[in-house]
Amino acid sequence: MKFRDYYETLGVARSATEAEIKAAYRKLARKYHPDVNKEAGAEEKFKEIGEAYAVLKDTEKRAAYDRFGANWKNGQDFTPPPNWNEGFEYADDGYGGAHPGYGSGFEGDQSEFFESLFGRGKHRQGGRGGHTHQGMNFKGQDHHAKIMIDLADAYNGAKRTIALHMPTLDASGHVTTQERKLDVSIPKGIKAGQNLRLSGQGGPGVGEGPTGDLYLEIEFHPNPIYRVDGKDVLIDIPLAPWEAALGTTVNVPTPAGSTLELKIPAGTIAGRKMRLKGKGIPSAEPGDLYVVPTIALPPADTDTHKEAYQNFEKAFDFNPRTHLKG
Amino acid sequence: MNQTNITWIEGSVVENEVHMSIVELSHASRTPEEMIMSWVTEGVLSPTGSSPQDWRFGGDSLRRAKTAAHLTHDLELNVPGVALALDLLDEIAELRARLQRGE
Repeated sequence: MKFRDYYETLGVARSATEAEIKAAYRKLARKYHPDVNKEAGAEEKFKEIGEAYAVLKDTEKRAAYDRFGANWKNGQDFTPPPNWNEGFEYADDGYGGAHPGYGSGFEGDQSEFFESLFGRGKHRQGGRGGHTHQGMNFKGQDHHAKIMIDLADAYNGAKRTIALHMPTLDASGHVTTQERKLDVSIPKGIKAGQNLRLSGQGGPGVGEGPTGDLYLEIEFHPNPIYRVDGKDVLIDIPLAPWEAALGTTVNVPTPAGSTLELKIPAGTIAGRKMRLKGKGIPSAEPGDLYVVPTIALPPADTDTHKEAYQNFEKAFDFNPRTHLKG
Repeated sequence: MNQTNITWIEGSVVENEVHMSIVELSHASRTPEEMIMSWVTEGVLSPTGSSPQDWRFGGDSLRRAKTAAHLTHDLELNVPGVALALDLLDEIAELRARLQRGE
């Protein structure tokens, strides 16, 4: 197990006051909140910050944590000494940082380090439901999960078996994670950021209440060839200088798996987009596929190639910098 | 050949096909109905229909409500703060998309 330096995570001194810790947490939470920060790793960072704050904001937990001393470093191998937390009592086992529903499933967000010290936090029960009310009926919880699909799945539709990790409370009130497999049909035309509602696949109802729903938020795997903008898709097509100057015909692969022949007119300029209408993500009003030409220069790596460039130079009276002074 | 029959679960695309009532949206976003009403008042959500009972939330209402709920909970933003954050996030998304389109 790796040690976690919660002070370092929040960027505060070990002597920091409660107010300083709160301010540091707030600042970092705003910066790395996964709804705000779309960079890779932001979500992980947000969870770490939340975990650090859950410990340091709590006087009892912080005091217990401080007993390990200041010599431990982030990532060092660590085993808590026996009875390390003797005499400490934690008023709550709640974990105030991140919220369920992020990430690949519903698993608890705490690190192994946190869990071994403070136990697994109670899975927060959002909204209504969850608790048993005698003689009352509630719809089960709606669950949320993100799933990653390929852009091609949005073009063609797909069948996918997905695995969800769902925390469930056992009879003694402990959280255990159960894996659940679902065979889901991904409809053609779905776009990144959209939600697929699977009725009756959420949490169990209370009393006579119906089962909740499962919402799957769709994300596309990053694609080395295509960029996606809503229902439009962009592809860079590199051209040799002579192809751009004289015109040519190129084969454009579509995400659906087919190939389109595209005429490149003479005098094509890098970056000037060409639109293939209706070849974006399909729907009643399909998106467009944009071809973005780029110019690729062949390397001057042999005498013949160098000579070709020199001939080029002789043939043109060309200065690309006439608009710059000097 | 050993073949198993799999029943593929069909879902509905919320943004295209689902128009939620306030009860459904409250349940799906784990947010009290009163909070959703205050978001509507602040312009965070724009349902069709004249009164809360008739409201229907379409399009990206669920995504917005979820984001609003996360921001409210995680950053303890108040209603106008959430509204401002969502507007700014929309603007950033639009600028990023324009950057990607090379405009």
